[in-house]
Amino acid sequence: MTIDVVLVDDHLMFRAGVRASLDDSITVVGEADDVDAAVTLIRSLQPPVVVLDVHLPGGMGGGGAEVITQCADLLGTVRFLALSVSDAAEDVVAVIRAGARGYVTKAISGPDLSDAVRRVAGGDAVFSPRLAGFVLDAFGAAAGDIATGDDELDRLSAREREVMRLIARGYSYREVASELFISIKTVETHVSAVLRKLQLSSRHELTRWAAARRLL
Amino acid sequence: MTMLCVTTERLPLRRPLRGRRIGGVCLGLAVHLGVSVGVVRLVMVLLTLVGGAGALLYVWFWVTVPVGDPVLVAVEQRPAALSRLAPRLREPGRRLPVTDIAVGLLLLIAAALLIAVRQGVAIEYSWVLPLLIVLAGTALAWSQLDAIQRGRFLSHAGGRTPVNVLRLLGGAVLAALGLFLLVGQDDPIDVLLRSAVAALAVLTGAALVLAPWWLRLVRELGDERAARARESERADIAAHLHDSVLQTLALIRSRADQPEDVARLARAQERELREWLYDDRRTPGTSLASDLRGVVAEVEDTRGVAVDVVVVGDCEPDLGTEALLLATREALFNAVNHASGPYSLYLEVTADQAEVFVRDHGDGFDLAQVPTDRFGVRESIIGRVVRRGGTATVKSREGRGTEVHLCVPIGER
Repeated sequence: MTIDVVLVDDHLMFRAGVRASLDDSITVVGEADDVDAAVTLIRSLQPPVVVLDVHLPGGMGGGGAEVITQCADLLGTVRFLALSVSDAAEDVVAVIRAGARGYVTKAISGPDLSDAVRRVAGGDAVFSPRLAGFVLDAFGAAAGDIATGDDELDRLSAREREVMRLIARGYSYREVASELFISIKTVETHVSAVLRKLQLSSRHELTRWAAARRLL
Repeated sequence: MTMLCVTTERLPLRRPLRGRRIGGVCLGLAVHLGVSVGVVRLVMVLLTLVGGAGALLYVWFWVTVPVGDPVLVAVEQRPAALSRLAPRLREPGRRLPVTDIAVGLLLLIAAALLIAVRQGVAIEYSWVLPLLIVLAGTALAWSQLDAIQRGRFLSHAGGRTPVNVLRLLGGAVLAALGLFLLVGQDDPIDVLLRSAVAALAVLTGAALVLAPWWLRLVRELGDERAARARESERADIAAHLHDSVLQTLALIRSRADQPEDVARLARAQERELREWLYDDRRTPGTSLASDLRGVVAEVEDTRGVAVDVVVVGDCEPDLGTEALLLATREALFNAVNHASGPYSLYLEVTADQAEVFVRDHGDGFDLAQVPTDRFGVRESIIGRVVRRGGTATVKSREGRGTEVHLCVPIGER
């Protein structure tokens, strides 16, 4: 079974590169190069996965996040994987909070990208080391700041923190699983939980935290 | 990512749009002073109980403090040379101005009540309420002017969004209403109306005469400012492109037959350009994270490899982190020389310690088997960190690579 994918990026060369590097189980069914074209295309095709650049021209200047916001009603069927050269936490976190299921850098290899698309299509979250780093930053790396209950949105649990740290250190999901003596499925559950917290918590509102971190 | 454990600079005083209760005064003050919002609100309420001083203070701040996200303003105020070039993504604003509408409605109702009272019973305080209405109306109109100045609505057709027009109209109506009530304290309503029409006619006449001149002035000012900004931006970009990208491309062309050199140059240029486009740069010598990136750059450039760097938190460098940095450099060179990629580097700075993990995907090695005369791991990596009160462990497993974990305490002064 192949997975249909829509590619959204404003660089023709890059789209061509991605199309060529994806393996046979993934079919690119459409491409768009700005916010408005992307929204129209995604609405008409409703693909299972959209590979989406964080920085896009058009729309109101909101880039990838705006595409997702405008397709918010489709989030149940269409899943977004953010792809970017940008290392800026604020950009990436904005797209994730809009509803993307994962973030990878454009330096990713073909097989890894194909794998990431499959994961996102399967409903899992895809965390690159960098995104894990952003998450740890966002939720405070201090060890004392740990969630005690499952329903706490503003803090990570000790296990989630551990998983995030291992991913940030360059461990694959499989390596994280064997390091912590848990199953890959459990790792995926933790990662999805973190994604949910990142999307729902109000930690990103204007707080002392944001002030301390985004500023000089 | 630009981060620092201690924010040395105070955030500018602004009234944030998000998270505000009324006018964002308390929230803005709290962010500015670095105290909890609750405390500021409590103080305001307490002050209000003392002869209404708090309320007056609040209105004063509301009128004088411009709207804006303090953090964004602070970022914008940084020197251009240190800021990232790529535009920041805009956050979608609130669609419906609930507060504005509520306040506006409240004032309109008050005005209507006042007129009713004026027609029926005469009350003593008849001059207080009009004054309040005038004040509120002007505040509303001013806040709109201010929003345009701040450029917040510039992306939406020069500040002429329906919300803004509504705000301006509402403010104008309120202010006019209040003024008439104030001026014509005892006059009958028909006299008032007639003078209102006369005033309006005079105003319209003046506006008609002055409008073209005013419009031209505004347009010229805007054009000139935009042109100046464009010019200086263009100069900056051109200078930078020349210094970096063009030079590198020339180098690459001259060494086209040496693939390793080309890869190294391309990688170095990629890193620099990325930093230039997407990061706000730090003043040198104040950030462990940027020092660490410097070390990574050195390793990448001399060995022609790519290292995946993830940084969480940041702090000012001290003797301990200096040792950590040198040990990290040694560990990275070790990994690149003896193992294989991909290489990962993770730095985490918390309130009391800085930790580094250097990971490779080589065959791994046994520390016990390393000859004692080899200085590398024992002295340059472990010894260095331990002397600063830190810990260093090397975890190596066959077929799963090696991970060096370094940790030093920080903030002991």
